[in-house]
Amino acid sequence: MSIEVPVKATGMTQPLDSTAASRDVQSPVAMQVRGLNFYYGTSHALHDISLDFPERSVTGMIGPSGCGKSTLLRVLNRMYDLYPGQRATGEVIFDKQNILNSGVDLNVLRSRIGMVFQKPTPFPMSIYDNIAFGIRLHERVSRSEMDGRVEDALRRVALWSEVQDRLSASATALSGGQQQRLCIARTIAVRPEVILLDEPTSALDPVSTARIEELLDELKTEFTIAIVTHNMQQAARCADQVAFFYMGRLIEVDSTARMFTTPREQQTQDYITGRFG
Amino acid sequence: MGNEPAHTITRYDQELDRLRGIVARMGGLVERQTAQAIAAVVNQNEEAALEPPELDPEVDALEREAEMLAIRILALRAPMAVDLRVIVAVLKMSGDLERIGDYASSIARRAGKVEVLDGAVSFSALRAMARLVQENLHMAVESMVENDAERAQEVWKADTAVDELYTTMFRELVTYMMEDPRKIGPCIHLLFVAKNLERIGDHATNIAERVYYAVTGEMLPSVRPRGGAARTDVEQPE
Repeated sequence: MSIEVPVKATGMTQPLDSTAASRDVQSPVAMQVRGLNFYYGTSHALHDISLDFPERSVTGMIGPSGCGKSTLLRVLNRMYDLYPGQRATGEVIFDKQNILNSGVDLNVLRSRIGMVFQKPTPFPMSIYDNIAFGIRLHERVSRSEMDGRVEDALRRVALWSEVQDRLSASATALSGGQQQRLCIARTIAVRPEVILLDEPTSALDPVSTARIEELLDELKTEFTIAIVTHNMQQAARCADQVAFFYMGRLIEVDSTARMFTTPREQQTQDYITGRFG
Repeated sequence: MGNEPAHTITRYDQELDRLRGIVARMGGLVERQTAQAIAAVVNQNEEAALEPPELDPEVDALEREAEMLAIRILALRAPMAVDLRVIVAVLKMSGDLERIGDYASSIARRAGKVEVLDGAVSFSALRAMARLVQENLHMAVESMVENDAERAQEVWKADTAVDELYTTMFRELVTYMMEDPRKIGPCIHLLFVAKNLERIGDHATNIAERVYYAVTGEMLPSVRPRGGAARTDVEQPE
């Protein structure tokens, strides 16, 4: 599913260290955004964005409110299609296909590119069914196999030990942090290739946040992850590469270590050091 | 580094300014210590010899103050990019400055012990070396206060000449000692003076390296231009 692109075309600068260098050069790209423009009606929200999402690594997207980072995330699984008057031009290459093309099956696309939102969004049903629901949409599985899939998903988000005795209890009774982990479990249960997270911990306390971050570290061995966050420290802790957006433009993208120690662009530096506006 | 637009949080700027102020004061003090130490040896100025050790406690206290403030900022502000580089640079530079103060005091304490050599041994290499080290230290402190990467790079390059002069002095002193064993004691003290000056030069170069990194985000090459390639050759006179 990987698309090999020459490093030169990724817009990456010389990496900070040789570890990063080897990763950047060798890591195949899971998603490739090229010349992307996005419009909310007549408002031009994203300007000519080109960005690679390396496979099995975490890309952090940062920038002030309204910079376009969440808009980009919503383009990556065609979430914007749910709203009239929104359109995208350019290319988002995923599995050799431009997912912006009209022929793309959106249900299949969204099962392969999952999304987790800012506020935990458990369905008003049991913990078990929250996980099983998505699987049933895409696959026909036996009861015993379903049990296994549910347990596996819950184990991978480290929620199993906390809920195994009350799988039939309502998911809405869980704590915020547990609900968010349940949502991540629901996303990974359908075995996506990419997980998009939009401010996944902004409503959570520090302990729950740390658990989600730890989880991302494990999940990235299997999935390609893109995370939008307002929390710079979170981007620094979780991401392998970080992209900084400002007023609908991608200002800079680089390895996380480089971005937070030696950004090239003054705008990036002003933003991450707290000298903005 | 210091020439950036203001932070949204004013207190953050004030803390960084205070931190910069501390190392600037340290810079001024150790320059004074070095100048007085050199005057004590080269001009046999006994009064000057007293000052460097007297200033030591103040320099030490400033180093601790810089360290505490830097740790506080790291913990409370989670600095990034240029701010982070400056704070790390300050932490290291304050250590370099404190060492420079120690070396200056050590030179001042030896002033009385090399007195007998005045006239008997040429001090010209020592004078040249002292002048160069003082110039380099001054430039290093200036580059630190003014965030001047270009000047920092000049200091870094200039250390070669100091190393070469040290090698010359080493050779000279070895010759004097072989000629007249009675001079061995004072010559060794003079050699230590030269060595301490050479170390001050090294620390000035370290400071220049930190300034360069803090300002540009790039490290100067790990191998600095070095003189005194023959240094090891002179250690075994035939």
